[in-house]
Amino acid sequence: MDAMIQLIHVSRWYDRRPALSDVMIEIEKGEFVLLMGPSGSGKSTILRMLIGEEQPDEGQLFVQGKNVTKLKRSEIPYLRRKVGSVFQDFRLLPKKSVFDNVALPLIVQGVSEKDIRRKVTEALRAVGVEHKRDQSPSSLSTGEQQRACIARAIVNGPVVLLADEPTGNLDPELTGEIIELFKLINARGTTVVVATHNHHVMHQVNCRVISLMQGVVLPERAMPERVGV
Amino acid sequence: MRRLFYLVREAWANMRTNRMTTIVAILTTAFTLTCVGIFLLIYVNLQHAAGWLQEDVKIMVYLEDRLSRDGRLQLELMLKSDRMVGSVLYISKEQALTEFRTQFPADSHLLEGLGENPLPASFVVTLAQNSRSPEAIKEWVEQVQTMGGVAKVDYNQQWISLLAELIGYIELVALGVGILLSAAAVTIIGNTIRLALFARREEIEILRSIGATGTFIRVPYFLEGAALGACGSALSLGILKVGFELFRQQVQFISRFSEMEGLISFFPLSACLALVLAGTALGFTGSVVSLLRIGEGRV
Repeated sequence: MDAMIQLIHVSRWYDRRPALSDVMIEIEKGEFVLLMGPSGSGKSTILRMLIGEEQPDEGQLFVQGKNVTKLKRSEIPYLRRKVGSVFQDFRLLPKKSVFDNVALPLIVQGVSEKDIRRKVTEALRAVGVEHKRDQSPSSLSTGEQQRACIARAIVNGPVVLLADEPTGNLDPELTGEIIELFKLINARGTTVVVATHNHHVMHQVNCRVISLMQGVVLPERAMPERVGV
Repeated sequence: MRRLFYLVREAWANMRTNRMTTIVAILTTAFTLTCVGIFLLIYVNLQHAAGWLQEDVKIMVYLEDRLSRDGRLQLELMLKSDRMVGSVLYISKEQALTEFRTQFPADSHLLEGLGENPLPASFVVTLAQNSRSPEAIKEWVEQVQTMGGVAKVDYNQQWISLLAELIGYIELVALGVGILLSAAAVTIIGNTIRLALFARREEIEILRSIGATGTFIRVPYFLEGAALGACGSALSLGILKVGFELFRQQVQFISRFSEMEGLISFFPLSACLALVLAGTALGFTGSVVSLLRIGEGRV
């Protein structure tokens, strides 16, 4: 299988404190991976590095064979177009309708009006909020807002979907629904990486779990519970 | 197409969101550009006046009283055959006296007591179109001055030199004021853009995360700056036009200056368009400076 994501001896320090120490991760194309660990373990740092928001102090990162650490500043937007991002706080533009929010990545890429309408409708249908397309995000429930955020992340058919604590603001029932949605997206061939500290998520999906603790990757299958976290 | 529409709509939304700041920016830009415009208007009109005076250069060649009729005719012939001369008009002593009485009726009694007509005969010489530069006039006058039978040569050189000097000063002041106030306009618009950037920093973060390029993020702010500059300069032109018309009315009202009314004019349409373009460019520069200074819009 091809590696979709590779982290090779990646280290990162914040004020001389290690956020990531010699991290080695390889995620295959089409895999569903959970990045697990408590707050400050380095999950979000890895996700931010994968979209070029941060650079490692040491080591190299590859996404679909491209060395992210070697990308020019002007090339980073094109990386982000291939990598969809879902955030805990949704990050929807409050003054735009759900449709316009989801259409944004396509507008940015200069997609034609006709294709925007088709793709946004498909994405909204896939996440189950098509009926809310003309409403503002503030009129949506938290679960619907997260679905709209996921629709925005998948609307341009990314090769990877990164989700940083996507269920952090959701109750267990909604968490289950969102995880099911990620599974569906993964079933279509998109590599999905979900960073979470929520152990319930781990029980809802049968996938590889990469556990992090203070910036260090724990041996696989060594669940945080088992090491006393 | 949708991308362009989006960018324009975003620029418009920026201005609407920060309505008060936008209005203040347009008004202050308009004020600063009006100040520049006043100097420009004075400069343009003085140049126009200088051109008009140059066109109307009349040289008075006063003749000696003892010059005979033949001598006068010979001199007239010489002047007319000069390629630098456009036209020559002879004013006899009697005609000069009549003109004096017509022009200064209240002072005509001054000449009564003298008995003999003290005014000299003269030639009113208008130089040819291509010989009206100050240097050419000066040279010609010096040459005529030495001719026999010529008592004195007089022309409005002093006025022309004075005006040229004044125009030079106004040009300098206009340039200085223009640079200073343009910098002020750039700063004002730049600060407005900074406020807009600050108000929309979250949105910028979102745009970055979905793969918007720096250009895509910056364009609405460039458009906003340019629109503020264009609106400010258009408003300043409106203020200048109103001020100019009021001034013209005053000139009309004061009959003494009524002839001046035809001489003064507002900016031609091409200059108005150039001023609006200059305002647009200043606004654009303001947003560029602002974006560069705080490094926003970078990926």
